[in-house]
Amino acid sequence: MERNTMAYKSKQFLMFAGPALILFCMVIIIPFLYGLFLTFTSWDGVSAEKPFVGFANYVSAFKDAYFWSAIGRTLIYSAFAVVFVNVVAFLLAYMVTSGVKGQNFFRAGFFIPNLIGGIVLGYVWKFVFNRAFVAIGEAISGGTTPSLLSTTGGAMFCLILVSVWQYAGYMMLIYVAGFMSVSDSLKEAAMIDGCTPSQAMRNVTIPLMRTSFTTCIFLSITRCFVVYDVNLSLTKGEPFFSSVMAAMHVYNKAFTYKDYGTGQAEALILFIVCAIVGITQVYVSKKGEVEA
Amino acid sequence: MASLSLKHIEKIYENGYHAVHDFNLEVEDKEFIIFVGPSGCGKSTTLRMIAGLEDISEGEFLIDGVKMNDVEPKDRDIAMVFQSYALYPHMTVRDNMGFALKLRKVPEAEINAKVEEVAKILDLEKLLDRKPKALSGGQRQRVAMGRAIVRNPKVFLMDEPLSNLDAKLRVQMRTEIAKLHERLGTTIIYVTHDQTEAMTLGTRIVVMKDGIVQQINSPEHLYNKPCNLFVAGFIGSPQMNFLDAVVEKKGTDTFLKVADFEIKLPADKAEAVKDYDGKTVVMGIRPEHLLDGRGKEAEQCVVKAPVEVRELLGAEAYLYFSLDGKQCTARVASDVDLTVGMEGTFAIDMNKLQLFDKETEKSLLWAE
Repeated sequence: MERNTMAYKSKQFLMFAGPALILFCMVIIIPFLYGLFLTFTSWDGVSAEKPFVGFANYVSAFKDAYFWSAIGRTLIYSAFAVVFVNVVAFLLAYMVTSGVKGQNFFRAGFFIPNLIGGIVLGYVWKFVFNRAFVAIGEAISGGTTPSLLSTTGGAMFCLILVSVWQYAGYMMLIYVAGFMSVSDSLKEAAMIDGCTPSQAMRNVTIPLMRTSFTTCIFLSITRCFVVYDVNLSLTKGEPFFSSVMAAMHVYNKAFTYKDYGTGQAEALILFIVCAIVGITQVYVSKKGEVEA
Repeated sequence: MASLSLKHIEKIYENGYHAVHDFNLEVEDKEFIIFVGPSGCGKSTTLRMIAGLEDISEGEFLIDGVKMNDVEPKDRDIAMVFQSYALYPHMTVRDNMGFALKLRKVPEAEINAKVEEVAKILDLEKLLDRKPKALSGGQRQRVAMGRAIVRNPKVFLMDEPLSNLDAKLRVQMRTEIAKLHERLGTTIIYVTHDQTEAMTLGTRIVVMKDGIVQQINSPEHLYNKPCNLFVAGFIGSPQMNFLDAVVEKKGTDTFLKVADFEIKLPADKAEAVKDYDGKTVVMGIRPEHLLDGRGKEAEQCVVKAPVEVRELLGAEAYLYFSLDGKQCTARVASDVDLTVGMEGTFAIDMNKLQLFDKETEKSLLWAE
């Protein structure tokens, strides 16, 4: 067959990219478009009928005060979680690349929380907060100690803490790759130029790790924005709905209150907010990246 | 500027590997010292110990009489040019060059003036606002040099700074470095595995092998009076020819028997092998000291062999031939009409002949 013909090129393309393209369409594109279609219907999630309602679901979503307070809460949770996840991950990465004995063991150890599913992690920590910490508190104070999860501020704090524990190990690996990508000769040049270790870190290592920062911050923002599993198993949105995050609100709207259309519209708004924040962050961070 | 003193320096790594053995060197102010040797000979390790990037296992290192063993690199007042240049990719050329001064809190106006002055010397003025990725290899190399010069340090350390450049640029930069040394009058320690760089740049050369110093002396001395087989083979390009030769005394004359040829030794060389009658020694002769020997047979200093390969380099030609099973090279003028297949007659310049003990590999003519 002539190699320069369109038929040959199409066949080649389909042979290599076809399976992935079909799968991508089946699990991402088609469900997304179908979801988009559902935002214009008043489907209850069960019946065969899907009455068209135009933009009514979007109007309803914009009027839903609980949704916007969940978005606000998610923003606050994400801001804290993203900062702490990245600070902890960076420090862990620094530690496990500094030549400390057993650094491979520590790398594996810090990564393990990421391997445990969010649901299991939430239940484990729920036990820790409700039983272990309470028992310790009671032993120290001698009186009754409430669980952190029973207070509105405490529940949010617990969610942030567990998220940091869950994600820091994963982000650590990306920072480890960043640390290792900075050439030793650059660090040595900095030492000879007169840098103290902290100056070398600030002036040479960190600026050259911007790709790692971009990746980690993007990943942690997107993960935090759609947090659901830990939210469900650790706090279930309690106490008094004070820890209901946006994803949980969307789920409840669609499946608990059977308002599938509005839930779907809110999911789409959440997606857009998440995409705007994520893309803006990547755009800003990428501008400062350098190629060695 | 400064004088350096390295006394009984040893480098032993945690895994027990002994990288440098009993290294001793006194460097005078304004000297251009070259560490040369094959890969893994310990030259870079020694340089890194001087820089403070490696700990000194044993021995003493002094700059201007002050012990530096435990002094941080930043406090040694040295500058280093790395093989990879180690330019900060996120900084402009100007920032790269001024970084060390900025850390010392030198006023910005003074930094700018100094950077621009050095940029002028190195012809980097138009590149000051570029980042390293926008520079060619030669320009990066010059920036790395500039970064070192701006600091006006006591000692310059250079770790194979030309090895990433192409051959033409390397020659050009070699000249630049030599001019710079002349102009700045600084003490420079320069590591290379290229003996041509060593010969052309150094005031003294330290030849190393397996972590042991083989010989320290001027380029001329190392070329003319190598103390052992390694130095003789390492210094000079193409490499010195080595042939096994049996010493034979006939009356008052002493001959070297090489393959089927007898070569009469001059008196001074005969004296050096007086205890080797009947024994085998290694005869060394540089390619440039093998001359077109047609008509010189009577002088009893010729060998003959068919030319196997002829390489024309322009002004001169290399002729390759085999003698006693070993490949030899002769470097002759390009107009010498010896071509492949012709029987070559090569006269040995007896004044330049080197002789080595076959067992110890030490020179029988010169002791270091």
